[in-house]
Amino acid sequence: MSCEKFDWKAYTLGELAANERREAETHAATCEGCRGELAHVRLTIDTLSALREEEVPRRIAFVSDKVFEPRWWNVFLKPSFVAALVLAAAILMHGYLVRPPAVDEASIQTRVNQAVMRAVADVEQRNADLDRKVTTLYVATTGIVRQ
Amino acid sequence: MIFREVEDRDLIAKARKGDVEAYNLLVSRWERRVFNYLLRLVSNREDAMDVSQEVFLKAYQSLPKLDDVERFAAWLFRIAHNEAFSLLRRRKPEGDMPPERGNQGRGLLPIELSLAVEKALGRLTEEQREAVLLKVYQGFKFEEMAEILSCPVSTVKSRLYTALDLLKETLCEVNHEL
Repeated sequence: MSCEKFDWKAYTLGELAANERREAETHAATCEGCRGELAHVRLTIDTLSALREEEVPRRIAFVSDKVFEPRWWNVFLKPSFVAALVLAAAILMHGYLVRPPAVDEASIQTRVNQAVMRAVADVEQRNADLDRKVTTLYVATTGIVRQ
Repeated sequence: MIFREVEDRDLIAKARKGDVEAYNLLVSRWERRVFNYLLRLVSNREDAMDVSQEVFLKAYQSLPKLDDVERFAAWLFRIAHNEAFSLLRRRKPEGDMPPERGNQGRGLLPIELSLAVEKALGRLTEEQREAVLLKVYQGFKFEEMAEILSCPVSTVKSRLYTALDLLKETLCEVNHEL
């Protein structure tokens, strides 16, 4: 029988403070019962150490592996995705709600015709002005008046 | 050991800032210990592997919540303990115990002695076995074990000491055969 005072399991497992260890060792030197108990505990723990540590059969998936990647629905919860979604919706709504007013084909044609006529008149006016200037210059330099 | 702890602390700090490689290295350092702890606890390699995977995934996700990086080991094994017992609770109705192996003969080889120890551990309750795993194989202090198991130190000691007494009886026979 070992003495109640000494915890040989704690001693063997390294849980005693240095002064407690010394006290226990001093006692064990003179107590056969405690030496026997200590030997039993040590033998048990030594035998337990015979258990072989096994290799990990395959590597643990690391952070970069798929298992650590966010779930597919997490992508849709990202702030950037939500912001892009809101922006796209706003553009579509704007395009739908703010449409240009309906126009009449005939009135457009009339306005085009009027613009063309104004442009033609402008060109004819400029040509006439140019003719007059050329004629004046010709008469001034040659003195000949063309009929 | 001291240098290793310092390096782990550094890796944890980097991993918390999003350094993936630092976490990868942390996993490679701890996977063997965690796997073996889980293997002895759940007694099935595939389950131990799956639970190990889950442990490191949860640890990665919870890393920002780790208050004290110095207590990373106890924190990691706390996660492993929770995951293992979650699996064991799901298994409970089936009474899934590790398969019994045949009687050991005389002159045990190291592999046979290892199997004898495995068998002896298998006879303990899950709580007793876990106490032995954390103390004898993982080297945690009583206080760390209490943190991992979320129970008082007195409970930890009670489980461990009962387990060691039972193992002493079982393994005594094995040792006499050597």
